[in-house]
Amino acid sequence: MTESSKLQGPPGGNPQIDTFKYDNGIVRAFAIATVVWGLVGMSAGLLIAVELFFPGANLNLQFITFGRLRPVHTNAVIFAFVGNGMFMGIYYSLQRLCKARLFSDFLSWFHFWGWQAIIVSAAVTLPLGFTTSKEYAELEWPIKIALAVVWVVFTINLLGTILKRRERHMYVAIWFYIATALTVAVLHVTNSMTMPAGWFKSYSMYAGVQDALVQWWYGHNAVAFFLTTPYLGLMYYFLPKAANRPIFSYRLSIIHFWALIFVYIWAGPHHLLYTALPDWTQSLGMVFSLMLIAPSWGGMLNGLLTLRGAWDKVRQDPVLKFMVVAVTAYGMATLEGPALAIKSVNSLSHYTDWTIAHVHTGALGWNGFLTFSVLYYLFPRLYNTKLWSTKLANYHFWIALLGMMFYVIPMYVAGVTEGLMWKQFTHDGFLQYPNFLETVVQILPMYRLRAVGGSLYFVGAVLMAFNLYRTARSGQFVPETEAQAAPLSKKAPVREEGPHWIHRWLEAKPLTFTVLSVGAVLVGGLVEIIPMYLIKQNVPTIASVKPYTPLEVLGRDIYIREGCLACHSQMVRPFRSETERYGEYSKAGEFVYDHPFLWGSKRIGPDLHRVGGKYPDAWHYNHLENPRSTSPGSIMPNYPWLLSQKLDTTSLPARIKALRRVGVPYPEGFENGPAQKDLEAQAAKVVQDLKTGLVTAPPDREIIAVIAYLQRLGTDIKAAPAAAPATPTVPLK
Amino acid sequence: MIENVLHDLGGVGIFGIVSICLFFAFFSGMLLWAARLKKPYLNSMRDLPLDGGESTSHAGCEKISHLETRHE
Repeated sequence: MTESSKLQGPPGGNPQIDTFKYDNGIVRAFAIATVVWGLVGMSAGLLIAVELFFPGANLNLQFITFGRLRPVHTNAVIFAFVGNGMFMGIYYSLQRLCKARLFSDFLSWFHFWGWQAIIVSAAVTLPLGFTTSKEYAELEWPIKIALAVVWVVFTINLLGTILKRRERHMYVAIWFYIATALTVAVLHVTNSMTMPAGWFKSYSMYAGVQDALVQWWYGHNAVAFFLTTPYLGLMYYFLPKAANRPIFSYRLSIIHFWALIFVYIWAGPHHLLYTALPDWTQSLGMVFSLMLIAPSWGGMLNGLLTLRGAWDKVRQDPVLKFMVVAVTAYGMATLEGPALAIKSVNSLSHYTDWTIAHVHTGALGWNGFLTFSVLYYLFPRLYNTKLWSTKLANYHFWIALLGMMFYVIPMYVAGVTEGLMWKQFTHDGFLQYPNFLETVVQILPMYRLRAVGGSLYFVGAVLMAFNLYRTARSGQFVPETEAQAAPLSKKAPVREEGPHWIHRWLEAKPLTFTVLSVGAVLVGGLVEIIPMYLIKQNVPTIASVKPYTPLEVLGRDIYIREGCLACHSQMVRPFRSETERYGEYSKAGEFVYDHPFLWGSKRIGPDLHRVGGKYPDAWHYNHLENPRSTSPGSIMPNYPWLLSQKLDTTSLPARIKALRRVGVPYPEGFENGPAQKDLEAQAAKVVQDLKTGLVTAPPDREIIAVIAYLQRLGTDIKAAPAAAPATPTVPLK
Repeated sequence: MIENVLHDLGGVGIFGIVSICLFFAFFSGMLLWAARLKKPYLNSMRDLPLDGGESTSHAGCEKISHLETRHE
């Protein structure tokens, strides 16, 4: 910390003026990381986009299949690109809004290097298949703990800076930063409750429906409090700065903040409409999602109206151009989101590429463009120079805009096409497209166009990186910026008359403000999640549903490792079009032993919940070796390594023990011998079944476990319910 | 595991109604409160980013000032 001298103020003025320095070094570090990780995340996205129409693009390498790379892409763009971008903007604006250097230089740099280490860990472990499978929370438990530590460091640095500020009142941007820091911490901890079964394997403490609700409470609010609230804070700071005029309505910004943080948290169940989640929770999620339009559009209009009378600047200044599109994309995405949360719309859109289009309107438009604008704003200031080429920045703008359009429009077309084809019946009452592959082949041209869009967006980002590099070269870095401000008076603020006093008092008290805003955030989560645990009728038990066998447990873990749920859902919704295609719709009670749940969120391939017993074992063997041998035209990658890699059974005892600890009723001591014997017996049976399909395979290969798991899926309710003993002594099927 | 130590509450339907009531109470109160905020206060707050001590006398459009000042 380099807080410096205190000067005597002018006679009759403040008795004392502090001179201090803003830390630009940490801002620059996060800015560079933003650019680098942005390019990495976009490259991963581009590769998996190509793999969807050219399945051989992974070169038969297990580490870069779609299933394993998809979380690399999502984690890289969310936590590495947007995360670093968020910290860059927060650390720059926070110092200036608080008139104070950051709380601790050590914590700032610990935060920076800790965050980069987590990103590198993710980039290494996810391709290796170490994943929890929970979307945007895939990292295994040691990395999750590290993430929590780094996040606490960030929060301390944020709140510490606010506490030592020289500006009495906290501008609305800081409110958004506080809500981000606290809520992400709560979300991360709640959703990360796992039971370790080794250094890089764990099982969610929650099962089935509860796991799904917690996960999408987290997933939805990760979008809200990682991708939205911090960036709204950046909008409220950088948009007025770039336009050189105050925000249109501060009153509106107050309403925007409180309404947004209160409403957002309730909307998570809209990710689970028509699933086995209880209906009252689904309706609640839908209603609150619709309400979200109001605060979101309030914020968008506040941003756009700030530019009234300054639109001539937008024509010339690339920073403002990017901001205008970012704020507009925020408005479009937040109108579309609630529309997709309407149950009837969702019945068409869910599991299709419509969701992908929606997500990328927000990611490419809102987060991407706002990040670009802040980078273009900051680099010249950090290097005390002009932007190297405004023309190149304008090229970037148009290429990125074109790229975004080429991305989202084909995805809308693909999404609606898929949704309609899945539901289409003939006049005779049969499915028009009973073979799922027909619906996949139909949208391949859209997948190709999407890759073109992604490429354009990536090229634009490369131009930006070059422009920023040349800007840095043309100037000289300013590591610290000197500033002066009077210290805050130690006296408590004078109580004034009128209702506005409450708010002035509140936002001058950061800790009270923090507690209240967290309370507003948590109430929605608590009302939705607690009843899921307290009320047993939410998850009716089914007597014939039993825990997975040891071989199936290992097969399921391989299914998780390969990221199969990136393309295959395990949730048959109660629609005739789905029960005709897949079989009986999924019941909540079928998932009570699913740690974690594997419902998925996208159907690039068909749903698998009722795949058990649908095909012979040999079909699965051939299909996994080369999907096109059984399903011509399939875009699924080959999985030859499953045929050659030995099944690791050494970790079986630890896995069985961990599962028992989270509530799966395996008998005590089952893992010490009986589990292994059970596994060998079932593997031998699979091998025998394979022989009838003219396939010879050793019993100790991974594919045997995967086949056992796939053949078990969705079959329990077909079994006659046995008289359930009070204490299960033989829990396995 | 967690659900095993908890017990039946009953009355699922009430949660939806409680949620909507909570929302309307919170939202109405917040709107009323925001509507009654005084103009001078709002104006001073919206100016905060602009009078943050940063000079706009940058080289061309974007040169940083080495001395950023603000006096309360």
